Amino acid sequence: MTVVIDALMYLGYVLIFPGFLFCFLAGMLLCGIDRKLVAKMQKRVGPPVLQPFYDFFKLCGKETIVPDAAEGICFMFAPLLGLAALVVIQLFIPVFGFTAISGMADIVVILYLLLIPAVSIILGGAASGSPYAGVGLSREMVTIISCELPLVLVLLAVAKTVGDAMGTGLCFSLRGIAEYQAANGSLICRISMLPAAAAMLLIIPGETGNHPFDAAEAETEICEGLLAEYSGAPLAVFKLSHAVKMLTLTSLFAALFLGGLGTGMVVLDALLLFVICAVLTALTISFVHAVTARLKIEQIFKYYWTVVTLLAAVSLVLAWYGL
Amino acid sequence: MNYLGNILSYQHFPIYAIMVLFLGSFLIAVFGENRIARNILALLSVTAALGFVAALIKPVLMDGEIISYWMGAREPAGGYAIGIALEVDALSLFFALLVSLAVFVSGVYSIQYMNRDHNEKEYYTLYLLLCGGVMGMVLSGDLFNMFIMVEILTFAAVALTAFRNTARGAVEAAFKYLVVGCMGSTCILAGTAMLYAQTHTLNLAQLAQLVPGDVNTATKVAFALLFVGFGTKAFIVPFHPLAADAHGAAPASISVIISGVLTKSGIYGIIRITYFLFQSMGLGTMQFLLVFIGSLSMFVCVTMALAQHDFKRLLAFHSISQIGYVLTAVGLCTALGVSAGLYHAINHTLFKGLLFLAAGAVLHETGTTDLNKLGGLAKKMPHTTVLFLIGAFSISGLPPFNGFASKWLIYQASYQKAVESGNIGFLLVTVIALVTSVLTLASFVKVSHSVFFGQLPPELENVREVSWGMRLAMGIFALLCLVTGLFPGLVTGYLTEPAATAVFNVSQYIEAMGFDGSAAVQPEAGSFQYVGAWDPVSWLLVLCIALLAVTIAAAAGKYGNFSRNRAARREDKYQLFYGGEAQELSQLGGDDLFWGFKHNWRGYFNYMHRMHSGIVNDYALWAVIDLALVMLFSLIVL
Repeated sequence: MTVVIDALMYLGYVLIFPGFLFCFLAGMLLCGIDRKLVAKMQKRVGPPVLQPFYDFFKLCGKETIVPDAAEGICFMFAPLLGLAALVVIQLFIPVFGFTAISGMADIVVILYLLLIPAVSIILGGAASGSPYAGVGLSREMVTIISCELPLVLVLLAVAKTVGDAMGTGLCFSLRGIAEYQAANGSLICRISMLPAAAAMLLIIPGETGNHPFDAAEAETEICEGLLAEYSGAPLAVFKLSHAVKMLTLTSLFAALFLGGLGTGMVVLDALLLFVICAVLTALTISFVHAVTARLKIEQIFKYYWTVVTLLAAVSLVLAWYGL
Repeated sequence: MNYLGNILSYQHFPIYAIMVLFLGSFLIAVFGENRIARNILALLSVTAALGFVAALIKPVLMDGEIISYWMGAREPAGGYAIGIALEVDALSLFFALLVSLAVFVSGVYSIQYMNRDHNEKEYYTLYLLLCGGVMGMVLSGDLFNMFIMVEILTFAAVALTAFRNTARGAVEAAFKYLVVGCMGSTCILAGTAMLYAQTHTLNLAQLAQLVPGDVNTATKVAFALLFVGFGTKAFIVPFHPLAADAHGAAPASISVIISGVLTKSGIYGIIRITYFLFQSMGLGTMQFLLVFIGSLSMFVCVTMALAQHDFKRLLAFHSISQIGYVLTAVGLCTALGVSAGLYHAINHTLFKGLLFLAAGAVLHETGTTDLNKLGGLAKKMPHTTVLFLIGAFSISGLPPFNGFASKWLIYQASYQKAVESGNIGFLLVTVIALVTSVLTLASFVKVSHSVFFGQLPPELENVREVSWGMRLAMGIFALLCLVTGLFPGLVTGYLTEPAATAVFNVSQYIEAMGFDGSAAVQPEAGSFQYVGAWDPVSWLLVLCIALLAVTIAAAAGKYGNFSRNRAARREDKYQLFYGGEAQELSQLGGDDLFWGFKHNWRGYFNYMHRMHSGIVNDYALWAVIDLALVMLFSLIVL
């Protein structure tokens, strides 16, 4: 009996909260808020906040065309894999006190799991056989390399700080990080973590591929690169994945630096998380989008491996000496 | 009956495992004209070797016994080991298992892969000689025998590198390998001679007993010579250019052996000399040497791989980059580090073997390994593509494949070491390892795009899938990649932790041969405790549920319905894109794919390009400089 209840509970986690349904609703809403905010900042009216939902269902109703040069199975399957992988990451990220599935993954695992959606979009694009996708693939991969180094440093700094405080020297577990913050207050209140938090905020638009780090999609230049040949439902799934990725990265920030704010009630926590994610999205994605122009790929790389890496490294060195 | 029982006792299995390989080699040299006899002999000897080694798992790895075997029952007389000995502890057997497994799979692959070559008889003779050499080296209990076996395997490997001697660069590659390989062998011989002069014994166990008590300048020089000698066999920096040339020229089945087995013999030698022979010289400082060279190999080779446009050369550089991980982890001198390094050694054999076999399959069907000329093979060779992708994901460390399981342990081990020792240098190692991993992913994204996806060149319209025997060999490796990735507990519990325990148990190694091991310097092992959490099976379960849910939802929404766009041929559609530019100048595939990255590092890449001149004199000079530096290091610091 308990096995059945457990199974149903896990199914509920995967399908409803913090799994699919939550990801779908929250991700799409974040995307809508972002579009609306950017429009307001640019003194446009902008689409309604629910526009991403309309777009999603419209695309699902459209015909799907697979180009002749494409490898069909990989082309059609890659979007689904990417979405599923993102939802699984969301399951591992604690929502303040609440962890859906604990003890199964740590921050290094999260670091690698974040690569899977990127790899799936790259494989899908590569399978389409389009040269636009070829250019997009090259830039997407370089963007990933750019973000990886500072992200690694940020995660190691957090692991060291929490580990020091807990007396184990190191703490890789996300649950441990959440528990530490519940007991001792958010990590962002520590001076040593401030540069890391800033670096993480700068990493968010790079990881999601938003302006000005969207060289890989560059609609006006290479026709959305990897998505150039996608149409219909697979395109809708990729758009959804993009929205969910915004949610995943902002909630990862919340889990790493803003833990301990939770009320203990799951519904309220979920709402609080969404509000935090929306604020972070407005700050890191919408605002940056509105005031910058697209960078070239080599500039993106240089920016991340100098400015952002320096911020993260400062934090790691401070954490190392126990500040 | 009693006699038969005596012959079949597992005490004899180590020597049988070596013998069947050499015997197969000689028999093929004599009776190998007939194709069927040749294949049967080759398969029999590799299977028998695998069987003999596998039968030793129970007594050695699980029960922790150390098999000591004196040839002709010549046991030590007067306190000195005169006879030739084999000594099989968990570490030796661990490497022997890797050897026999790779040799077996590569043997299966060879049968259909080599069917278009002439001189198959010579191929199998040399192949089994090479395999027997490596097997003999890892099971030997005698430093001089290790040298003999190293000589046998070096010469067999050189001959096999030049096997397709009509191909461009094959003889040149073999010549480079011969020159630097001989310098390495000479170093090993010189180091052995210096130790012999000092201790009057060649037996490893007795050396492990005598050397620590009497460390002087000669011992330190001997250490440097042996370290550099085994370093050339493992192709660690600065010997990496030889690996690229050798792999580029050798048949794929030989690349599997060179990368999966021969480099491991070098790593085995390095572990043996640092942990067993020279333990008293201060593991803490030797640590620096191993970790520094390991991290350097990791990073230099992965960036070199990014600049390659030949499938097999690219794989060769990655091979050394992964060996860098192994060396770094082993050099951490903690139980967790050694266990993680050995785990990565298994995985390296498996995924690298798989990738080289996939490259061989592409070469077999298309006749080229040039990334700029290939493309779109996924439609023609679907099974090879899937198998290649498993290998590519494994080496880039994507969960749930095996590369992740071992890299995850390496990051933990190095970070834990950094925290425990308070040395910020080890932190840098963790960061380099993590960045190397994502660069590896980039490199394999390039290969999969340039070879299996992207556009199919018109010349390759008639390519077909490779034969079942080759797919079977790749399938074995792919399956093992998944198993070792999904059940890390089994691998660490039954293979790497016993082997790592053996590494830290020097006195037991000495006493098994009947010498007094009480004075041995036992390094502090530490525990196998993890700081992180990773449960691949449950993760895969959750991913599958999620994937199933998406797929069902998608299917309900008529996701699978699509129409093929056959009207627009790619020539018309993408003309605009090229805009008159020569196709090879665009960044669509091949070596220049990650232009954005390489542009920022152009100083570094140009420097590397100049350094890797391809002239054997330069590489020989590097070997001499390396030897001088290691000698200086060991004289001043150790």
